[in-house]
Amino acid sequence: MAYQLYRNTTLGNSLQESLDELIQSQQITPQLALQVLLQFDKAINSALAQRVRNRVNFRPMYGSLNTYRFCDNGWTFVLNDVEFREVTELIKVDKVKIVACDGKNTGSNTTE
Amino acid sequence: MACVNPVPKLYRSVIEDVIEGVRDLFAEEGIEEQVLKELKQLWETKVLQSKATEDFFRNNVHSPVFTLQLPNSLHQTLQSSTASLVIPAGRPLPSFTTAELSTSNSSASFTFPGYPIHVPAGVTLQTASGHLYKVNVPIVVTQTSGRASILHPIQQVFQQLGQPSLIQTSVPRLNPCSLHATAEKPKRIETVLHQPTILHSGTVDRKHLENATSDILAPPGNEREIMSEALLSQPESSQYIRLPGVVFPPQVSQTHVHGEPVLGVAGSMTQNLNGGPLSTGRQGAQHQHMSDIQLRVLKNRMFGCGSVKQPRNTEEPSSLPVSEKDSNSQMDLSIQVMDDDINEIIQIDGTGDTSSNDEIGTTRDVEENEFLGIIDAGDLKVLEEEADSISNEDSTANSSDNEDPQIDVVEEDPLNSGDDVSEQDVPDLFDTDNVIVCQYDKIHRSKNKWKFYLKDGVMCFGGRDYVFAKAIGDAEW
Repeated sequence: MAYQLYRNTTLGNSLQESLDELIQSQQITPQLALQVLLQFDKAINSALAQRVRNRVNFRPMYGSLNTYRFCDNGWTFVLNDVEFREVTELIKVDKVKIVACDGKNTGSNTTE
Repeated sequence: MACVNPVPKLYRSVIEDVIEGVRDLFAEEGIEEQVLKELKQLWETKVLQSKATEDFFRNNVHSPVFTLQLPNSLHQTLQSSTASLVIPAGRPLPSFTTAELSTSNSSASFTFPGYPIHVPAGVTLQTASGHLYKVNVPIVVTQTSGRASILHPIQQVFQQLGQPSLIQTSVPRLNPCSLHATAEKPKRIETVLHQPTILHSGTVDRKHLENATSDILAPPGNEREIMSEALLSQPESSQYIRLPGVVFPPQVSQTHVHGEPVLGVAGSMTQNLNGGPLSTGRQGAQHQHMSDIQLRVLKNRMFGCGSVKQPRNTEEPSSLPVSEKDSNSQMDLSIQVMDDDINEIIQIDGTGDTSSNDEIGTTRDVEENEFLGIIDAGDLKVLEEEADSISNEDSTANSSDNEDPQIDVVEEDPLNSGDDVSEQDVPDLFDTDNVIVCQYDKIHRSKNKWKFYLKDGVMCFGGRDYVFAKAIGDAEW
């Protein structure tokens, strides 16, 4: 099964909200909504793997790693005062949370 | 091209893939195609309304979309001439046609062309994010390169009715005090905002910019509705009525607070609530509330028992004036009354410990004597006297010892309070608008130097989305 990690993105959340609305209006069943979300997981995982090619570097300007957490094979970091540098643009944030799942064995994680 | 944002295309392709992928599922369930279309529509609308991709459906990269909702009276004006919408350099507004204006909804969408636009009064603007603003005054919308923020001269706009006002950005945040009066009059709570430069670069903080899209404000027509919509659409609403960047003082919530801790309340407010000279600190207010409530409960109890126990009657009037005299001793009074009346709920430790040590000392004396007596009533009859003396000594020693530890404890708490990491930091710490969801190739640490090798990530900074195939970073913990 592809990571459900991306459901907590703008795209994923808006999909879930839309599905919730349809469920409340009883136009679809919750089971179907779940299937849609699973399909979304596959689509977003493959899209990110295949269609995105850019690189980003980030480092704290004068901030630091505030917290780190490793649980269930997933990392959660909170960094302060970081700037993200892409080729085209520079983004500065005062606080950022990074949630990362293990990307090494994505092949084994994808099951039908 | 460097300026092409790959996110909208990516999102659109994902949506298409998902919809196509579930088409069969929907068919199997016997669900109509219309539902699928509705799902797609809802999804796209939500993505569009979010700030993740401003140009989700547009080819223009750096122009936000906002919808004009025009009152009917304005139709003819706009249809007849575009003078009210001054477009310099003779550029037409893209996709802004009179045909759209003639619809019953009176709405038209167009992207901000990057040059000043004169907008007459009576125009409602809806941003891509869904915020509604109505034009109160004929206004010129300009795009500046400064930092987007809320303009201070809101009141000036109100005062300048009938006069077109050119308003620029880069004004510091509104002084909450200046808008205190407006808090009570929702009609006046409207903000004049400007187009941010986020359009060109992503360096501007989106938190400011969610308010600073090119919005213009409202005629008196449906101010409250629009204001409520604007307020509801504000994601930052909290205990205070919060407008972009503005936090109204808690006087607004005064009516809702009684017997609850009032945050940031001045001493005058607590006086109003308790009717006596009170400490001005927040802690004081809380204690006063609590002690006041305790006292009232005790009063009720006393009144309830008054008929049964006559000695209490004498105590009642004596206790009441005492409480009225010195509100600061309400805690003492409560403890004293509780000691006298209800021994089983004497609280020796905890919050009731600090106020009257003497009372507690004597209480402990009594308890220890009783305890020793119970253990060996027969043999210790002789020893009771000794025990009493010993217990008195012990109590004195204990009281002294207890006082010292109490004092020490009291002193240590503030001293050592900084050692513990407050639990409150943790939930707040992980609650942020800037989130990256990704996979990691490798996380490396050497002492306190961390290196991150990430991939396939979606970043959301202040609502705006970015993606990356790989991200490398380092940090120090």
